[in-house]
Amino acid sequence: MLQYIVRKLFYGILVMLGVVVFVFFLFQGFGDPSRLVMGQRADAATQENIRKELYLDQPKWKQFLWYLNDVSPIAVHSAEDISNKQLHGLFIGTDQTKIGLKVPYLRRSYQSKREVWQLIMEVLPGTLLLAVAAMIIATVIGVFLGVTAAVKKDTWMDTSSIFLSIVGISAPSFFMGIIIAYLFGFVLSKFTGLHMTGSWFDIDEVTGEKYLTLKNLWLPAITLGIRPLAIIAQLTRSSMLDVLNQDYIRTAYAKGLSKNVIVWKHALRNALNPVITAITGWFAELLAGAFFVEYIFGWKGIGKLTVDALEKLDFPVVMGSVLVCASLFILVNLLADILYGVIDPRVQI
Amino acid sequence: MPLLQIKNLDVEFTNNDAPTKALHGISFEVNKGEIVAVVGESGSGKSVTAMSILQLLPSPPAKYTSGEILFSDDDEKTVNLLNLSEKELRSIRGNKTSMIFQEPMTSLNPVFSCGQQVAEAIQLHDRVSKKEALQRTVALFKQVQLPDPEKIISRYPFQLSGGQKQRVMIAMAMSCNPSLLIADEPTTALDVTVQKRILQLIKELQQQNNMGVIFITHDLGVVAEIADKVVVMYKGKIVEQGPTQTVLKSPKHPYTRALLQCRPALHPKGERLPVISDFLEPKQQAKPLVKAVPELKKNSAEVLLEVKDLTVKFPSVKNFFGKTLEYNTAVNHVSFDIYKGETLGLVGESGCGKTTLGRTLLRLQDAQEGKIIFEGKDLLSIDKNELRTRRKDFQIVFQDPYSSLNPRKTAGRAIVEPLQVHEVLTSTSKRKELAMELLGKVNLQPEHFYRYPHEFSGGQRQRIGIARALALNPGFIVFDESVSALDVSVQAQVLNLLTDLKNEFNFTAIFISHDLSVVKYISDRIMVMRKGKIEEIGYAEAVYNNPQSAYTSQLLSAIPAG
Repeated sequence: MLQYIVRKLFYGILVMLGVVVFVFFLFQGFGDPSRLVMGQRADAATQENIRKELYLDQPKWKQFLWYLNDVSPIAVHSAEDISNKQLHGLFIGTDQTKIGLKVPYLRRSYQSKREVWQLIMEVLPGTLLLAVAAMIIATVIGVFLGVTAAVKKDTWMDTSSIFLSIVGISAPSFFMGIIIAYLFGFVLSKFTGLHMTGSWFDIDEVTGEKYLTLKNLWLPAITLGIRPLAIIAQLTRSSMLDVLNQDYIRTAYAKGLSKNVIVWKHALRNALNPVITAITGWFAELLAGAFFVEYIFGWKGIGKLTVDALEKLDFPVVMGSVLVCASLFILVNLLADILYGVIDPRVQI
Repeated sequence: MPLLQIKNLDVEFTNNDAPTKALHGISFEVNKGEIVAVVGESGSGKSVTAMSILQLLPSPPAKYTSGEILFSDDDEKTVNLLNLSEKELRSIRGNKTSMIFQEPMTSLNPVFSCGQQVAEAIQLHDRVSKKEALQRTVALFKQVQLPDPEKIISRYPFQLSGGQKQRVMIAMAMSCNPSLLIADEPTTALDVTVQKRILQLIKELQQQNNMGVIFITHDLGVVAEIADKVVVMYKGKIVEQGPTQTVLKSPKHPYTRALLQCRPALHPKGERLPVISDFLEPKQQAKPLVKAVPELKKNSAEVLLEVKDLTVKFPSVKNFFGKTLEYNTAVNHVSFDIYKGETLGLVGESGCGKTTLGRTLLRLQDAQEGKIIFEGKDLLSIDKNELRTRRKDFQIVFQDPYSSLNPRKTAGRAIVEPLQVHEVLTSTSKRKELAMELLGKVNLQPEHFYRYPHEFSGGQRQRIGIARALALNPGFIVFDESVSALDVSVQAQVLNLLTDLKNEFNFTAIFISHDLSVVKYISDRIMVMRKGKIEEIGYAEAVYNNPQSAYTSQLLSAIPAG
C-alpha cells in the first residue's frame, strides 16, 4: 500500500515536471514580458533593469532552470535571492548557495506586484468550497437517482430520472447558471432569501472585517453540480443494472435478506467503481474549470482569478494557477486510486 | 407429510406480451432425509423449478400461473410458498430452505469477506450478536472442512479456489440448519476430484441433519452417485421419475434412454454416438442407430509438431520499478511430439497449464524457453510477418461458444474474415461460396450465413467456430475445451461432427479437455498434465484402462460411476 502510494507520488512528480516544462514554453510566445511590466511610460534603462530582474537577458534554457528552481519545493538559492523573493522555508548552507525546502515561489503578478502564491491561496478556499459542495450535491442525489432508476427499471421513476439527467447533461453551465441565478436569486428571492451574485465572504462595511456568507454557496454549487449529477446518475444506473443481474445478488436473496439491504449494501458497493472514476474526474475538473459559474455568480475562485489574469496578460498568475490546478488533479487522482482499493478488495494495491 | 410437495406447477415468462411457458404441470415431492435429483439439459426447466421454490426468479417476467408448492418442516403446519408475503418468504429463505448455486466464482459477493457473508445470514435469522455469528461461522467452516477456518473468515472470495468457495457457499446454506437444501448444479464448474469431495460433503451433511435435498444436475453419473430419487425433465415437463436405480437401469421414456446412451464414456473411439433425435423420432430409426464409422487410417509416424523443453511463465510478483521478481510457471519444461493426422487428447484439472500450452503452440501466448518445431521451423523464433502468414496453418476452436464469436458480426462474416486476411481465393463471392459450403459441412444451412450469433444455440455456435477454424484448411487445430460448455446430447452431435470432419479434412488436432471420458472417445493418444508438467502420455485405451501414474488413476476414479 505504502509502496503503491510512493510510486504514484513519484509518477505525480514526473507529471508535474512535464506540466512545468509545458507551461513555461507555452508562455514564451506572448511578447516581451518586460514591456507588460513597465507599462507605457518607461525608458530603456528601466526596461533593461526589469529584463535583468526577470532573467530575460539570459538564454532560454537558463531562464527555464531558474523558473524550475523557483517553483520546485526543493531548491537552491542564494541568501540574497531568499530575502528578495521573500521565500518561506528552511534553508541550510553558505550565503552563496543555500539548499532547502520551501513554499513554491510562483513569482509576482505583473499587475499588482503581489506574490502569485498569496493571490492563489486567497481564492483557493473559495474554489475548494464550491467544488466540494457541488460534488456532494452531485454524488448524493446522482447515486440516489441512479440506484432508484436501476431498481425501478422501466417504470416512470426510471424514465423520468433518465430524462432529467439527459437534460442535465445537455444544459451548458453558463446557460443553467443564468437561469438558476434569475429564478432563485431574483424571481423567487423572497422565498429563497438568496441573491443573484455573491461570494463566500463579505467585508463588513462598518468594522471592515471579513465574514462568511455561505448561503451564497447554494446557487453556484447547484449549477456546477448539475452535469456531474446527471453523469453520476447514468453511470450508477448502468453499473447497478449490471450488478443486480449478478449471481451473488441472487445468493443474497436466497439468504433471506431484504431488498433494501441487498440494493444498498450488497449491490451498490460493487457498482461504485466506475462512479468513483466519474466523481473524482469531475471533482478535479470543477477545481479548475468552474470559471463561468464563478463569473456569473461573482464567486471569488481560482477560475475567475485565472481568466482575469489572462485578460491582462498577467502570465505569472496564469502559470501559477495552472500549476496549482495540475497538482490538485494529481492529488485527487491519487485519492481515487486509494478509494478503489478501499471499496473493492480485488483491486490490489 | 412430505417435506416439500410441488403440485401441478406452471411458470410463464412474459416477454413483450407473448408469454412463454417454462414449466408445464410439474409435480414431485421431497421427503425428509431424501436426496432427489432433478436431471435435464439446458432449457429443460430444472433451474426454473429450483428457483421457483424460493421464488428467486425475477418477477416480472416470471409468473406463477397455477399450482402450489407446499412446504412443511414440522409435520403440523403446511404452507403454500406461493401464497406467502415477501416478509414471510424472507424468513424461510436461507433459514428453513437454502440454496447452493452453480458458479462458486460468481455466487459470492466479491467485496465482502467470506466470514462476513456467512455471519450475515446467521445474524439475520437467529438474531445473535456479530461476535457469536462469527464464532458460529468458524464452526461451520470447520464442518465443511475448510482449511484454517479462522483465517478464511477474513479472506475475500477472490483469494480462494473454486472448491473452497463452494464450501463457503455450503457453509452459508447450512448456517441456519435448513430442513431443505436446494443445490443447483453445485459441482458442474469444479474439477472431478474436487467434485467428488463436494458430493461427499453434501451427502454427509444431509445425513447428519436429516435434510431433504433437491439436487439439480445435467450429469447422470453424479445422479447415480448421490440421489435416492430421480426426476427427469425435458422441455419444461417431467418425463419420468422414480427411484434412482430403477430409472437408470431401466429407463422408460426415450429421452432418458437417449441421455444415458449418448455419453461418450460408453463408446469406443470412432463409433458414432447416438443423439437425442435417434430416440425421440423412432420413424427415422430405419437408419442403423449406431452407424459404424470406417476404420481410421493408420497414423503415419511422421512428426508434424515437435515441442522441446517448452516453458511458459507469468509474472506474479513485481518490485517497485516494475521488474518481475517471481514467476508462476504454467508450463514447465514440456517436451512431446505430435504425429501427422493424429488426435492428441490433453487432460488435466484447472490450472494445470493445458490451456496455456495449447495457446503457446499457436503463439497466442509467448514462451520463455524451448522450441516448437512445426514442419521443420521453430515457431518461437520466426518474426511477426512470417508468423502472420503461417497462422493459416494452425487454428483454434475455443471453449465458450457464447463469447468467442463477435456479436456484431454475422456467422458468415466470421468465416469469411480469415479468408480475406490470408487472401485465399480471389473474389468476395467465391469466399462466400466457400463459407456456405463450410456451413453445410458443419450441418448448418447456407442461409445461416446472414444470421448473428445470438440467433444460434450453443451447439450451433460451436459449429460456426469449427467452420471458421476449418476455413483456411489448416493442418493443425487446437480444440480448447470445445465441447465442455455443451449439453451431453449436443456434445454427442459435435463429437460426431468432429469425427466426420477429421476423416474429410484430415487435420491433426490437439483436443484439450478436463473430461477424461470425452478425451478417451476422441483421441488416439492421451497426455495428462499436472502442475505444468506431463504426468503421463500414451495410447488412449492404455491410459484410460491401465494408467501408469498415480495421478491419472486418481482422476479416473473421481469420475462419477453412472
